[in-house]
Amino acid sequence: MNAIVSVRGLSKWYGKVIGLNNFNIDIGKGITGIVGPNGSGKSTFFKLLTGNIKANTGHLSVFGEDPWRNPAQLMRIGFCPDYDFLPGELTGREYLRFVGGIHAMSGNALATRADEVLGIVNMKEAADRRMGGYSKGMRQRLKIAGCLLHNPPLLLLDEPLTGTDPVARKDLIDLILRLHQDHGHDIIVSSHVLHEVERLTRNIAIIYKGRAVATGDLTEIRMLMSGHPHNIIIEGQNLNALVKLLIDQRYTVSVEMSKSREGLKVQVDDPEQFFDSLPRLIKESGCELQTVHSLDDNLESVFKYLVG
Amino acid sequence: MDTRRTLIELRTMVVFSARKLILNRRWILVLAVAVLVGGLMGYSATLEVDHLSYASDLLNLLFLTFFLPIFALIYGASMIRNEIDDRSIVQVITSPMDRRASFIGYFLALTIVLSLMIIITAIVGWSSYFIVAGISLDAVDLLLPYLLVLVLGSVAYSSIFLTSGVILRQPIYLGLFYIFIWEGFVGSIPGAIADMTVRHQLQVIAAHWIEYGDISYVTGDALVSAMALVVLTMVMVLIGAFAFREKEIS
Repeated sequence: MNAIVSVRGLSKWYGKVIGLNNFNIDIGKGITGIVGPNGSGKSTFFKLLTGNIKANTGHLSVFGEDPWRNPAQLMRIGFCPDYDFLPGELTGREYLRFVGGIHAMSGNALATRADEVLGIVNMKEAADRRMGGYSKGMRQRLKIAGCLLHNPPLLLLDEPLTGTDPVARKDLIDLILRLHQDHGHDIIVSSHVLHEVERLTRNIAIIYKGRAVATGDLTEIRMLMSGHPHNIIIEGQNLNALVKLLIDQRYTVSVEMSKSREGLKVQVDDPEQFFDSLPRLIKESGCELQTVHSLDDNLESVFKYLVG
Repeated sequence: MDTRRTLIELRTMVVFSARKLILNRRWILVLAVAVLVGGLMGYSATLEVDHLSYASDLLNLLFLTFFLPIFALIYGASMIRNEIDDRSIVQVITSPMDRRASFIGYFLALTIVLSLMIIITAIVGWSSYFIVAGISLDAVDLLLPYLLVLVLGSVAYSSIFLTSGVILRQPIYLGLFYIFIWEGFVGSIPGAIADMTVRHQLQVIAAHWIEYGDISYVTGDALVSAMALVVLTMVMVLIGAFAFREKEIS
């Protein structure tokens, strides 16, 4: 992997409180989700990435450079924090003028770019209203506009969906996906709401008590958990013969058939072996399969298992 | 360093920080002070005294000695500290602008706003006095040196209190100690210790131009005092800028 962010043995503590503890991670291109409960170290990680705080031990590089005392590095990073800091007395456009100015943008170039990002976050109409009257979703979109303004390759979005209503949340998820797919930004997005990250990316890092307890593709992470029963739903017709075959397999923990007899919930302890053998079992049983999907690919179950 | 780039960043910091200070609700305090000194000085002008000397004493007491350091403390100590505490500083510290330049932007904005506020309130007080007592060319000659010294004082006090807001969690206590204990009490003890106050250096400079009131009896070399204030300001700004760059802001 061509790592944008590389972290080795990073620790950060605040007095007696540990923010990150021997933290290791490599983050490449695309969207990466940082998932963990409140207080797990997500925000500390972002503060270290932006050089706002200094690590006590370990090595951290962003685009190959140490972010601490390296303001030039921030030309390549757009940071959207989890808290609300927008000055209510400014309009959205004035705020962007301020953000642009401290990024050395000015004149027509700034005005044009501000219009462009207001369009991207769908805030053009409200741009000349004071931000004090904005809804939570609007404020989040404007915060994202602020971190997009200087067109950085890497966006750090700390809990961007927190506190938003379902409609705003869907809009923000679509916006974040567009920022990667249409505008080419690499994005590190954090959340403690697990299913939200799942809608953004399958590439995740799970943080708990300051440590990265699992990183990589969601399915790969799931594969790491060989001892943890894995639930798979199979739907189709003539499933009786398949049930008999499944019961004889070493990896099968339990098989449960639905009342309609058109669905199975299979619990296995070796999902890889299960998926390898499934085509053969289908052929031998003569059943007709409609869908096969894994319940445990749901991030919630992965998170619960990994953090105990 | 890219000069054009730095100038754009600095200008933005100054404009937006100054605007934030002006729009802050503390302008009510400034308004109240203006009304208070206007009333007080207007009333004082009804007394049968040497008006130029008495007005000079009032300008010295009210503005140079009291409101200038108090305004500087209220606005300066909280300027960066409040932004750190309410976390609105995030936009500045996650921009590519060198933090030392950001600090200078804050300092310039504070100095400009503080100068404006103290000048406006001083002019209100002076006008009230001489509208009642009768305006003269000598009255104008009295005002101008005071305004100049108040601007110099704004620069010096801004550097002290802004820096204290970066270094300390509760800068207001140090500020109160400095104003009331150090300048107000220790600084009034006869001897060389008074030289170690901003107020004294400002009074020495003012005494160079002003011929009325107690301030005209303050002795000292105005050039040395001006140099002392310049050095103090530069040292405090350098300390503040360095401390701001090194500060971990979480």
